Amino acid sequence: MNKLSREEVLHVAHLARIKVTDEEIEKYQIDLKKLLDDVDKINDIEVESEELLVTPVEQDSVLRSDQETSSVSFEEIKKNVPAVTGNFVEVPVMIGE
Amino acid sequence: MNDYKTTVGIEVHCELKTNAKMFSDSLNNYGGVANVNINEIDFALPGTLPTINQYGVELGIKVALVLNCEINKKVVFDRKNYFYPDLPKGYQITQARNPIGVNGYVEIEVDGQKKKIGIHDIHLEEDTCKSTHADTKSYLDFNRNGVPLLEIVSEPDMNSPEEAMAYLEKLKELLLYANVSDCKMEEGSMRCDVNVSVSKTNQLGTRTETKNIGSISSVGRAISSEAIRQIQELEQGNVIHDETRRYDEKQDRTILMRVKETGNDYRYFPEPDLPSYIITDNDIEKVKETLEVMPDKRRAFYLEKGISSVNSDKLIQNKQLSDFLLGLEDIDLVIASNLLLGDISSYLNKTEKKITETSLTKDKLREVTTMLSTGEITNKVFKDIVVDLMGTNLSIKEIIEKKGIKTISDENALLEIVTKVIEANPESVKDYHEGKDRAIKYLMGQIMKETKGQANAAIVSRLLQEELNK
Repeated sequence: MNKLSREEVLHVAHLARIKVTDEEIEKYQIDLKKLLDDVDKINDIEVESEELLVTPVEQDSVLRSDQETSSVSFEEIKKNVPAVTGNFVEVPVMIGE
Repeated sequence: MNDYKTTVGIEVHCELKTNAKMFSDSLNNYGGVANVNINEIDFALPGTLPTINQYGVELGIKVALVLNCEINKKVVFDRKNYFYPDLPKGYQITQARNPIGVNGYVEIEVDGQKKKIGIHDIHLEEDTCKSTHADTKSYLDFNRNGVPLLEIVSEPDMNSPEEAMAYLEKLKELLLYANVSDCKMEEGSMRCDVNVSVSKTNQLGTRTETKNIGSISSVGRAISSEAIRQIQELEQGNVIHDETRRYDEKQDRTILMRVKETGNDYRYFPEPDLPSYIITDNDIEKVKETLEVMPDKRRAFYLEKGISSVNSDKLIQNKQLSDFLLGLEDIDLVIASNLLLGDISSYLNKTEKKITETSLTKDKLREVTTMLSTGEITNKVFKDIVVDLMGTNLSIKEIIEKKGIKTISDENALLEIVTKVIEANPESVKDYHEGKDRAIKYLMGQIMKETKGQANAAIVSRLLQEELNK
């Protein structure tokens, strides 16, 4: 099979919360399949360890003390949000939480 | 309908009492002014990186110990991906592959039957922001975003609403005594999702998940109504779908919610921004040292000291009172617990104070308990001095003096009253000699009445016995 099904594309689009047109669906059916095939090549590489390499850095985390804290004023944050009501960030209603 | 067996598993989320958030260094405090305890990391601004709160990990270890879990020493995190405005990063940092604790258990008791409820795992994650919904808009407060959250996943080991409620009560008790969370379901610092299925065979039926139920008793009702709904569906030849529901308290029924992502849709993958942390034996020892005496041990001790099981439970449920008795194990705990649960609790309720906010010290409780046990003062005297005892820094002797309360310890004066009471109550004296225990109590009461409760009870008791046996 050289392309994804229509349903698969719609499912991925839904997870990303984007709307796609019929034309785009057809395009993504092929594009996404190509992408998956490219990524699949990684499976051909022979590896010695079964353990997942999460990061190439071989250093453990240094934990942060619970004591000191920092904050940014809401005035600053406001510049990066779509809308504000009072001290709240306003977004279109999230239905069926 | 009775041949169906109900099976219940519960996921509990509890917020951890840290100073800072789990993966950012903003303050862990919400409920006040919106969007003040926030920073660049909480808002996922470009270029920010999370860090792990050490105390958050320690509290995770603590809960693992308290719930008898094996500890996974390699602490790693994963991303759970979903787009929703309550999570600016587009993913929640959680532990999917390697939860901090696994294979634990909690022991519950229902109708005298003990049962172990398995803990599948406990894992560390972060809370989402708090949203309030209006007709066309939702309003977001990010103070809660990033608050350390511990999810406790039980095995499907419960088979009735009663067992589920007992499990939650027990869990709450343990978390409170471990001092990791304040576990207030009404404020959302403890939340539960219940998985319910019914089946006629040993094979489990399809389960549904009922989310965010507001109280432990509601959990019981939600399980009952969901089990009945499933049985009715099956009896009508329908199938149960794996779906998310919510419990409507007023209608006492569960309602289907919008279908959200499940399983693979979350596209979990390792969090590359957080290198692993290896828990050392030393870390675990350090946490063990901070563990207080757990409720089961306290309960057993109270019972051993002669406190009734009702009062023992009351003490356990009121941790501040139970804590107040720590270090006072040598005094008469029956008397001390009666004081704490009686007049002292009334005072605390009236003044809306915690016991540590009053003038009562452990030394004063020790002193007053001893005075009561030796009969130096009576319960009536205690009632008269309790307000001053709790509200002033006066010593017990000073309070008694100030109140003009005299404890009569003068043996000659008391003997006079004892003799008078004996002469006035020949029936009771006769009863006493016939071995009726109640008689002596009655006579004691009469003497106390004569002395307006100010007589030294120990001396009176001795004198009375001596006079009666003459």
